[in-house]
Amino acid sequence: MTLAGLPGRVSSVFRTRAALGLRPFTAPVMVFIPLGIALGPGALGIIPEVALAHLDIVISIALATLGVFIGIAAGREARGAGRLLAAATAEAGVTILVVAGALFVLLHSWALPLEMSFLLVALALGVCASASAAPAVEGADSRGAVQIAARVADLDDVMPILLGGAVLVMAGPSVRPALLSTVQTIGLGLAIGFGGWLLVERAHVAAERGVFVLGAVAMLGGAPAYMALSPLLAGMAAGLFWVAAPGNCDAIVARELRKVQHPIVVLLLITAGAGLELTMAGIWLLAPYVIFRSAGKILGGWTASRIAPGIAPSDLGAYLVHPGVIGIAFALNLQQVGNESATALVFAVAVGAIASEALALVVMPSSRAA
Amino acid sequence: MTRRLAALALTIGIAWFVVTGPQVDSVLRPTALALGLALIAASISGELLERLHLPRVTGYLLFGMICGPYLANIITRPMARELQLINGLAVVLIAFIAGLEMNVRRLRPRLRAMIELGGIAMLVMYIGLFTVFWLVWPWLGIAPDLTGLQRIAVVALLTTVVASFSPTVTIALVAESRASGPLTELTLAVVILADLLLILFFTLVMQFVRTAFGGPQEIGLFVSLSWEIFGSFAFGASIGAVFAFYLRHVGREVPVALLGLCAIIAGAGARLHVEPLLVALAAGLVVENVAPPRGDMLKEAVERGALPVLVIFFVAAGASLQLDALATIGGIALAVSGVRMAFIWLSVRIGVRYARIDPKIGGLVWMGLVSQAGVTLGLTLIVAGEFPTWGATIQTLVVSLIALHQLVGPVLFRAALGRAGEIGRLGGDVLGIEEQLDTQPVRAD
Repeated sequence: MTLAGLPGRVSSVFRTRAALGLRPFTAPVMVFIPLGIALGPGALGIIPEVALAHLDIVISIALATLGVFIGIAAGREARGAGRLLAAATAEAGVTILVVAGALFVLLHSWALPLEMSFLLVALALGVCASASAAPAVEGADSRGAVQIAARVADLDDVMPILLGGAVLVMAGPSVRPALLSTVQTIGLGLAIGFGGWLLVERAHVAAERGVFVLGAVAMLGGAPAYMALSPLLAGMAAGLFWVAAPGNCDAIVARELRKVQHPIVVLLLITAGAGLELTMAGIWLLAPYVIFRSAGKILGGWTASRIAPGIAPSDLGAYLVHPGVIGIAFALNLQQVGNESATALVFAVAVGAIASEALALVVMPSSRAA
Repeated sequence: MTRRLAALALTIGIAWFVVTGPQVDSVLRPTALALGLALIAASISGELLERLHLPRVTGYLLFGMICGPYLANIITRPMARELQLINGLAVVLIAFIAGLEMNVRRLRPRLRAMIELGGIAMLVMYIGLFTVFWLVWPWLGIAPDLTGLQRIAVVALLTTVVASFSPTVTIALVAESRASGPLTELTLAVVILADLLLILFFTLVMQFVRTAFGGPQEIGLFVSLSWEIFGSFAFGASIGAVFAFYLRHVGREVPVALLGLCAIIAGAGARLHVEPLLVALAAGLVVENVAPPRGDMLKEAVERGALPVLVIFFVAAGASLQLDALATIGGIALAVSGVRMAFIWLSVRIGVRYARIDPKIGGLVWMGLVSQAGVTLGLTLIVAGEFPTWGATIQTLVVSLIALHQLVGPVLFRAALGRAGEIGRLGGDVLGIEEQLDTQPVRAD
């Protein structure tokens, strides 16, 4: 089947990879993280330390952009799909429980020298692990299980982002209670979302609309980042608001952001790669992270199929092994708030994402099975 | 409009809440927040000013000035500093756009007249300003005790800095107004020629000042000068050729490639000792005149990028206007500004007559030469760094002049473009065309 003949949802996955100059089965993390490592200060030095510090703005804006996409996608999917939302949340919850639980036990027994508490490290890795990307499969599989998996991949980011917002506050320098800060982040996202809605809907011309959308996303990235809160969560809150608000705001924002999506994802991954530091803790965390993430996804997928029988297939978890970039973005966000231990986390999550993508090629059900 | 005002109030309120809220002890940079605030609030401010028949860019500037560290402090000093970093990219993109607008084949019939006007205007202005500064030297408060060669040297230096224009502001205003026509082309040609002459004069005069004050002389002066001018053009032409090749044979992710091009030029400036503005201008000239891209991909990328870049550039300029300097030396600055404007008017008038340019158009060119910005500031920083005693006073005076001319210059130039009927004559629209909404599915990665 040609790309043009694919249903919209699946073709969008192909389009993302194709627009990045990648073959449909080559995930962006497998190309751009190694490229970042090669360009970074640890290798060729084309991206020096100083430039990396300035790329901080890219991380904040990328986090907000991803948050907005997730908010809009989840807001649209959640309409009339309550059971699927519950199934996706359960899938993410189980993955977090498996990864966080297993790593907490391991960290205790290994007594790794980390600045963050073991519980927070385990929780943070659980959050990173629970995010999944929409699966990319051949055209013949663009129905049934794949479509459900894609919808679950949209919805399973909601709970981790909420939890991640709280983890970020606990790991960061903020002295406010985590719950209050999480509410504050959501409030900030809704307020900026409201401001954006006031402007975007009535913008006179396309370039002006583009400026307003870019401004709103920069605010969604910058305001929480300035307060050591989560731009992902603020972006998601704004995205959900734009879906719920009257008019076409969500469609306008999605269209405008789609134009900057590829550059932002590329820059985020290159920044992640360039900033990777090989630490002993990172190496220790890597293998368990990949193994328990895969186990968590399989178990989580199975749980989701019990909650939504007839909708979610029993092998759903196998489709969700693709990690995408949300987990890496969250790890970078942790590093951004100045947590030293996050260096090890970024290493484990970023390299783990490459390993998980490779694993996904093996465990992904074949086209016959779908 | 009510919705926009509500959004403006909300955006400023959010920024104020964030900036004045409980500070966290972190290493976070405020760049994204400053960027968001600038893009949203300054755009609305620009639109408000446009309703008063003033340039949008003045709205961006005023917003930056009012919200900047010297007044409301919503854009704090670190935020203003971070915006300045983005400014480097903005200057390059603005100059690249100017290069793209210059079609040599179209300009060739008027090239001689343009060079004559620019050359004569600069000469008259230099002689006039030098004479006035020499005569009023004891009252300028810079270094009244200087006599003889030292006084000539410092007066020449002050003349060079005060006589400079701002190609960036002029080009930016042309881009924002989508202006096209004889006045636009004439003004752009004069400011760019003046920028080349400025680099030449400043290097020579600095050497003269060093000699007069018994300082070390640079043996490789002309080598470095030649490199700064010709090296910039050569580097710009090469990078423009590579970019044109990319557009023709790859043609993917053009906005990213354009951003990369601007980053390379901005970053190479300091390392290679080239002038980023000239490099970008040359790159744009090559792309437009030697290997124009097929299709509209570059035009679309430039039009999309132009508006946010203009907003950020002028907000950063407004936020960095040193109002305290203006308060310190305001009276003298006003007087010097008045003299400068008078000489700009006079010199252009003489130049127009000599070059036999239509006086209806030529008579308006002076209004496009009033602005001063980054280039002038950069020169005063060099002077103050090398001669801290009287150089610091020159810096204070020139910074005050920049503040005045930043506010007055765009208003005057926009009025001139309006009078010449050239606003909005360029094909397309910097604010883009309406697009059809789509409802494609959304994916985060």
